[in-house]
Amino acid sequence: MNKTIERFSTSQRVLHWCVTVSFFTLLLSGLGLFSRLFHGYFSLFGGGETAIIVHKIAGILFFGSSLCLFLAMRRDTTSFDSGDLTWFKSAGGYLTREEMTFDVGKFNPGQKIFSIFTAAATVILGITGAIIWAPLHYPRFIAQFSLMLHGLMFVCAIMFVLVHIYLGTIGNPGTLESMLWGNVRKNWARHHHPRWYREKVKGEG
Amino acid sequence: MSEMLSGSTRLGFLVDSSRCLGCRSCQVACQQWNKLEAEQTTNKGSFQNPQELTPLLYNLIRFEESADAAGNVTWRFLSRRCMHCGDAGCLKVCPSPGALFRTKDGIVGYDKEKCISCKYCVSACPFNIPRYGSDEKVAKCNLCLDRLAAGMAPACAKACPTETLKFGVRSELVAKVKAAGKTVYAETELGGLGVVYAMEGKPEEYGLPAKPSIPLSIFLWKDVIKPLGILGFWGSIGAILLHYVTVGPKRIEDDHGDTGGTSHE
Repeated sequence: MNKTIERFSTSQRVLHWCVTVSFFTLLLSGLGLFSRLFHGYFSLFGGGETAIIVHKIAGILFFGSSLCLFLAMRRDTTSFDSGDLTWFKSAGGYLTREEMTFDVGKFNPGQKIFSIFTAAATVILGITGAIIWAPLHYPRFIAQFSLMLHGLMFVCAIMFVLVHIYLGTIGNPGTLESMLWGNVRKNWARHHHPRWYREKVKGEG
Repeated sequence: MSEMLSGSTRLGFLVDSSRCLGCRSCQVACQQWNKLEAEQTTNKGSFQNPQELTPLLYNLIRFEESADAAGNVTWRFLSRRCMHCGDAGCLKVCPSPGALFRTKDGIVGYDKEKCISCKYCVSACPFNIPRYGSDEKVAKCNLCLDRLAAGMAPACAKACPTETLKFGVRSELVAKVKAAGKTVYAETELGGLGVVYAMEGKPEEYGLPAKPSIPLSIFLWKDVIKPLGILGFWGSIGAILLHYVTVGPKRIEDDHGDTGGTSHE
């Protein structure tokens, strides 16, 4: 009997890595624009002017791929139920060594919030980014506000992403496989996403 | 930034509007010295020409008309240009070191070679001064740094026939304005303006903001979001490491169920 179960399809994984690569390209090319403290990162791109060009291209790719990824997952990430409430009440079991299992579906509410935040951040960063791209076409207060909001959303995004990476890798061993070759161990699925596992097995049976 | 400016060496630029005839010699001299092409302009029913600063015009005489209750009209002329702020918004946001810089005399200069065309300075300027032309590089008054290096006064001050524009040590210019019983515009705001306006009325009557300041969004970005963001980044890293060594990862063993009993990490 197969010991693993498919969690993410090939197209979902490819899309996710497009988002990842464009995100880190945006991060590295944008740090120098966020503050002069990080001016050194411009040298990765041969200077500030090329870093801006790279940032714009990566921005378009990120905007498109991130929204596609959200739309592809939206049915599983945008509705909450009573199982999610118990998860929230005990912070997903992340504050104790005790083994806790919650009756959650394909995504737990923390992942759902990350998904919704990412979609909102993508839209806000995209719109403000487009304004900063050609600031002279807009009233000054709109360009100023966009610069502020772009920086604020970046700061929020980087903190969300740090937690996302931690929980997807060393924080939950066995999770990263779902984004690499797509399958997870059945025992992992039974513990982390019991309801999704039951539905999945029923579907297979 | 402003604490680096020494009062005794900071150079300034006096604009005494009460002496101004509105002849625009300063505009012409500036364009001539800085080799700026003349532009086609249109008559908008005012002597002000063109209506605003352009990438090819670093200073401009504004013609401000106002009438009091009795119908007496006052016509004010104001030389508008980069104010060379002590605490300059453009320097605060410029991501390319050396593209915008402050000289030891306190003048805000720029280097087109180092400008990366981000246009942040346009948004951050409290007075909406920097312009971008077809070369996509910053352009504004730099008080003729090349002339200063050769011991000459800026072209506009040299050309002014009425001594409306005077160049010198800022503290001396400020003292001179006060001795004449006039007020100095924004003497302390923004670290003190390098351009010393001698005012006989309210700033608003000259078309200037009463209390100029760095735009709020720019202040929030640079002085609130940036430091808190850096703190948040390292705080998140710290929290993650702390979580890993205290609570630890959620290991799901493969030691029971239908998985065959092989133990995985």
